[in-house]
Amino acid sequence: MTRSASFKGAGYVVPLLVVMFIAFNVPIAYMLGLSFWEKGGGFTLEHYAGLFKAPVYLRVLANTMRIALIATLANVLIGYPLALWMRGLGSRGRMVAVALVVLPFWVSLLVRTYAWIVVLGNGGLVNRGLQWLGLTDAPVAFLYNELGVTIGMANVLLPFLVLPLFAAMIRIDDRLLQAAASMGAPPRTIFWKVFFPLTLPALAAGTLLVFILCLGFYVTPAILGGGRVPMISNLLDTLINQIPRWEQASAISTLLLIATLLIFAAYRWFDRKASA
Amino acid sequence: MIGSPSWARRLLAAVGVFGLAFLTVPLLIVIPMSFSSARALTFPPPGLSLRWYDAFFGDARWMEAMGTSVIVALTSSVAALFLGGLAAYGLRRGAFAGRGWIEANFMAPLIVPTIIAAVALYLGLAKVGLLGSLFGLVLAHTILTVPLVIMVLGVALREFDIRIEQVAWSLGASWPYTMRKVVLPNLAPSVFAAWIFAFIGSFDEVIVTSFVAGELDTVPKKMFNELILQVNPIITAVATLLIAFTVLALAAVAFILGRAGKLQQTLS
Repeated sequence: MTRSASFKGAGYVVPLLVVMFIAFNVPIAYMLGLSFWEKGGGFTLEHYAGLFKAPVYLRVLANTMRIALIATLANVLIGYPLALWMRGLGSRGRMVAVALVVLPFWVSLLVRTYAWIVVLGNGGLVNRGLQWLGLTDAPVAFLYNELGVTIGMANVLLPFLVLPLFAAMIRIDDRLLQAAASMGAPPRTIFWKVFFPLTLPALAAGTLLVFILCLGFYVTPAILGGGRVPMISNLLDTLINQIPRWEQASAISTLLLIATLLIFAAYRWFDRKASA
Repeated sequence: MIGSPSWARRLLAAVGVFGLAFLTVPLLIVIPMSFSSARALTFPPPGLSLRWYDAFFGDARWMEAMGTSVIVALTSSVAALFLGGLAAYGLRRGAFAGRGWIEANFMAPLIVPTIIAAVALYLGLAKVGLLGSLFGLVLAHTILTVPLVIMVLGVALREFDIRIEQVAWSLGASWPYTMRKVVLPNLAPSVFAAWIFAFIGSFDEVIVTSFVAGELDTVPKKMFNELILQVNPIITAVATLLIAFTVLALAAVAFILGRAGKLQQTLS
């Protein structure tokens, strides 16, 4: 071994480092640069100022935020009880439940989104069921509006919340809960004073992760929104692929990137606490 | 919770079952629908047939998209496995400065919203004239799937005792020999899992692909474009084939890792 200790093993990472630098870091840096670049040369903030002047951008931003918040909230309301219920299952039941959560996670995003067209369409399972129950005469419009987009996104992202929550919950020692019970704490108190606080870091981490993913969602709003529910990503598609305004698209991407990195930093903080 | 009233337990079970159904029922509905004889997506299907599978396999454009998807997924997953495998080895076994930063950089494509990667790669590839080229597409997919490889192999290498390698060296084995005869055989199940994950990751990729692939069509890109225009029942057959492909691939991973007793470790 003639190489000095501080470079030991560095050779193995060099090939990927070179490829990553050329094919990822440089394009991102180019995009950042473009957002501050005036045609003809020079630094400018004009592309950012333009975003705040055009009402369409602000409307898309508000849309994105609202849908992301509702989808995240729906995720928490379904995901927390689901993880809690899974914790109470026997080992075989847990395995089946985890498999049922993991499998959709790996199935193509496109397939999962498409499945909702089949289920929520006018002749689909849900509308057939509602009509059969006599709850409605005409089919309910679930698709090509905000409701459909929100349902689809909540569905796609649910595993991202359930898996870490479940992992945190099974680490909680049952004896801790028994101790609280033996000292006379009613179930409600045990849950809110002992169990829930222990799951809070994982819940916060999972919620932030889901929210980040919501902000950048592209496929689901494009398909289930039918072009009527534009989110940030769909706006980026328009600015790149339809009316080429690369500088504007770069500025939006840069802002989205900064927001994502800030939320991700918060996520990491909670995630460390959750696994500590 | 201990001593919770039975109505609370029942409510929890109801929400739990609803949650699992919410995740899985849509996928389960797609499968029978793909064998429907009708054009409209009515459930239950009025009759059974294989016409949408015939239509899929008989369509030259779908078959071409399939060919492109397989070529891109094979090439990029092997490239990601090679580059990511070496990098994971260096990150776990090396002692150089800045490893944390380098690893964060390698994981970045997984963290940065894919749409941003799509915009950046579009701008970058457009600049060098590689937009719409097979090479550009493979390069983009390699970058996007490399984090999966590093994640799986990083865990596997941490569990693999370095002293086993040291024994091989001290007995005079060269580095390539140690790799071939000691490290790789021991890590084979995880290497296989990492390759499958990278393959699925590339095969399913749609966002970056629809930005940078130009005239090239992959199966997900074609599916996405058709879904935006109108719903064609062929899609239901494609979706069922993709579900079957994912289930088989994951079953293979679970089987190989389970046989090696490494399933728990990779999942957690």
